[in-house]
Amino acid sequence: MNVVVLLKQVPDTETKIRISGDGKSIDTSDIKWIMNPYDEYAVEAALRLQGSAGAKVTILSMGPERVVESIRTALAMGADQGVLVDDPGTEGSDALGKAQVLAAALRSLEFDLVFCGHRAVDDDENQVGIMVAELLGIPHLGLAVSVEIEDGKVKIQRPIEGARVTLEGVLPALVTFGGAHAVWNPRYASLPGIMKAKKKPLETKTIADLGLAPEDVGVQAAKVKVTAMELPAERQAGRKLEGETADKAKELVRLLHEEAKVI
Amino acid sequence: MQPGHFPANILFVLIFLAANGFFLFTVYKLYRIMRLGEPEDRFDRTWERLKGVATFVLGQRRVVNEPAGWGHFFIFWGFVIITIGSIETFGVGIYHGFAYWKFLGKGVTSVLYLLQDLLCFAVVVALFVALYRRFVIKPDRLLYDDQRAANLDASVIIGLILFLVLLLLGARAVEYLLGQNEATRYFPKWAFISVALADLFKGLSEEALHGWYSFFWWSHTLIILVFLVYIPFSKHLHILGAIPNVFFRRFSSIGELAKMDLEDESAETFGVSKIEEFTWKQLLDLYACTECGRCSENCPATLTGKPLSPKLTIHHLREHLQKKGKALLAQHGREEAEALNPEGELGRALVGEICQHDELWSCTTCGNCMEHCPVFIEHIHKYVDMRRYLVLMESSFPAEVQNVMRNWETNSNPWGLGFASRGDWAKGLPVKTLAEDSQVEYLFYVGCAGSFDERAKKISGAMVKLLNEAGVSFAILGAEEKCCGETARRLGNEYLFQTMAAELVETINSYGVQKIVTTCPHGYNCLKNEYPQFGVSWEVYHHSEFLAKLQRDGRLQTKLAMDKHLVFHDSCYLGRYNSIYDQPRTLLRSISGLRFSEMDRSRNKSFCCGAGGGRMWMEETLGDRKINEARTEQALALEPDIIGVSCPFCTTMFEDGIKDRNMEEEVKVYDIAELLAQTINSEKK
Ligand code: SF4
Ligand code: SF4
Repeated sequence: MNVVVLLKQVPDTETKIRISGDGKSIDTSDIKWIMNPYDEYAVEAALRLQGSAGAKVTILSMGPERVVESIRTALAMGADQGVLVDDPGTEGSDALGKAQVLAAALRSLEFDLVFCGHRAVDDDENQVGIMVAELLGIPHLGLAVSVEIEDGKVKIQRPIEGARVTLEGVLPALVTFGGAHAVWNPRYASLPGIMKAKKKPLETKTIADLGLAPEDVGVQAAKVKVTAMELPAERQAGRKLEGETADKAKELVRLLHEEAKVI
Repeated sequence: MQPGHFPANILFVLIFLAANGFFLFTVYKLYRIMRLGEPEDRFDRTWERLKGVATFVLGQRRVVNEPAGWGHFFIFWGFVIITIGSIETFGVGIYHGFAYWKFLGKGVTSVLYLLQDLLCFAVVVALFVALYRRFVIKPDRLLYDDQRAANLDASVIIGLILFLVLLLLGARAVEYLLGQNEATRYFPKWAFISVALADLFKGLSEEALHGWYSFFWWSHTLIILVFLVYIPFSKHLHILGAIPNVFFRRFSSIGELAKMDLEDESAETFGVSKIEEFTWKQLLDLYACTECGRCSENCPATLTGKPLSPKLTIHHLREHLQKKGKALLAQHGREEAEALNPEGELGRALVGEICQHDELWSCTTCGNCMEHCPVFIEHIHKYVDMRRYLVLMESSFPAEVQNVMRNWETNSNPWGLGFASRGDWAKGLPVKTLAEDSQVEYLFYVGCAGSFDERAKKISGAMVKLLNEAGVSFAILGAEEKCCGETARRLGNEYLFQTMAAELVETINSYGVQKIVTTCPHGYNCLKNEYPQFGVSWEVYHHSEFLAKLQRDGRLQTKLAMDKHLVFHDSCYLGRYNSIYDQPRTLLRSISGLRFSEMDRSRNKSFCCGAGGGRMWMEETLGDRKINEARTEQALALEPDIIGVSCPFCTTMFEDGIKDRNMEEEVKVYDIAELLAQTINSEKK
């Protein structure tokens, strides 16, 4: 069985985000990049299938050279090989453009299952996984917190308000992953894992290799564009009200009403 | 069978050779088992090593640190003198006319007899005290999981020595009556105890006396030989293990960890998961253990009911080593041996069975065990070696630790706060970064706690105030600073540690500063004692020694008084790891009005706050109480207004302990830098 995990590299959630001069993107200098946490759950799920069903796990990602580090992290965790689509032509692409690139890359690979996080923690679009399934014409099973393979079918569980629903799909299929760190407990790479990862195959492709052109998937093709970005207002220091209790209460109501505008 | 006459002498020689042969054979086997271990170089500094043997074996320097140790002192010296006497006894066994006085002269021999008599007496007293302790007082530290076996072993030994000594005195008494030994004949007053005992045998016929003499001589001699044969199988193996173990002791700071070769492509495994993967010295440790229990009596984990007792760890490792070692030697190759005996000792996992995971993770690396072990056993290194295996090979550690490791990887601090905000604590303070001015004399290495922990930031602020007050030329790294990796190393993640160390070395070296001062004892110990493994030779100071020096030089004067009662807590990594005990005390004593108290467990007996060895980042769910609670209680018993500390992690642990008892209003925890900063009353900030 072949499992391909779609992996996105995102800024660490503790990163101090700065908006760059154009007002539409973030300044990427001084950012610590990590593997999107939901994709990490997908890697963990794939590695469990590797352990239980002998699945071969391929990591597929797109982005610049720096993404190699995150792919190597997944390889150190135990994935077998990696593919990176590194092409300036994909710059500025929207979710659909990215999905097209990934779908094209997937067509060049063998797969029974495609795993990915249900969303990336940087732009929170919740789209790419679903679109890839659509483009490939395969079933999509969303927000899995457990995954099993039985008689050539994939079975997942997804939490819904106060309950859990079990879904089943035929292979090949795409599963997106939800849950939390405590649900998946992604493994920590061992030292031999890290050493082996350095020697595992990692192929870099351009979009031309996939039969695509920048006009198909790049900024020109984007149907959704970011027009502006802004940071939330800086947190103000707390204020302590002084005086008699009754006065303080009055003042508090006034502030909540006039300044904070919450009541 | 009169000793020394034919055929008794032939019989004696045969028995003697058999016992010695058996003894040597057993010892040789133990030696071969020890040599199954990995190599380690402990052959430098021969002269200092010999001096160590003189101090710690002959002088019993560490043994007598405790009252019970004096008993051992006398038994040890009694043993030495009796052994010297035994040579004469054995000589007599071969030829009845053999006597020391013929070689040594009557004078020396008489002195020897006097010593023998005195020590025999002392040994008898000491043995009864030992029996009383073991069976009546029963101190916790003599507890074992198989108490009956331990007591039996001890009783056998005590019994053997007791009889050995009494029989020796008996033989000497009869010898005196028979007048067959010139030394006793001419100088009876020397061997006064034996001579006094001779009264018991007065009036017996010469024949009867000869009978008694044979009886005493034979039983005394046979007991010595039985003892010889029994030693290697009992806890008295330490008689053989302790001397070389003291000789081969480590000179570096207590818990200094060795640098692992992580580049080695041929290495199949990292850390220790099999007993024979320890170095030979680590195995020699196991032979040297006297089972005295001092390690556990000082261990904060043992004392708070954690599943860790360093004494038992050593005991279990020794049993495992002896059994597994024998099996390994019996077969031709390791694999064959394992295949042949999967159920036996060879099939038992070192990590998980002999040593439990919880046991390994309970250690705070405080060093109290090593500090008090009379024979210099190195416990910490064993725990860390096994942790290294768990982390590097199995990725197995308490769940909380994984997050912390990731935080180090992404943000170079255990809290996982954004690395770019590392220097934010200094905003608005009069402090430069090296990037702004690299021509300064000192780098103030703030560390993770001092940079990110709200409470510890205040200590950093106080330090800045003091350094400025004293006119020290210094700067910080600010956002460029990195974690030193100390805790990751102690948690067994040598890979992460080496990655972090390489980064920090590069950053600091890029500015060319050579002198570093820091407020964190963990960073201090690591930069000072372990970073030289990465080719640097910085001068590193902990703020307690640095401030004490500034004060000595008259650059820092305390002006304001403080009418408070303070208890000072020694940080393990300052005290036991680096012998810094006096400097913080000198600083605190310079504050007028400050009354100063010491806890029972202070200085090198200081009880860990519970944060070391990565424990800071683990839940403390095992045991009957938390270590920080226990330590806080010890401090509060003295009813202080202030608990003085010299480490940001100790600060946290004590504040938590005080909060749990709702005493935040009454008792405050301050770092020495904060106390000093409060009393210098400077205009400068
Ligand atoms: S280092 Fe401290 S906690 Fe660890 S075993 Fe020794 S005494 Fe106990
Ligand atoms: S390890 Fe040292 S302190 Fe502990 S029981 Fe053995 S000899 Fe005593």
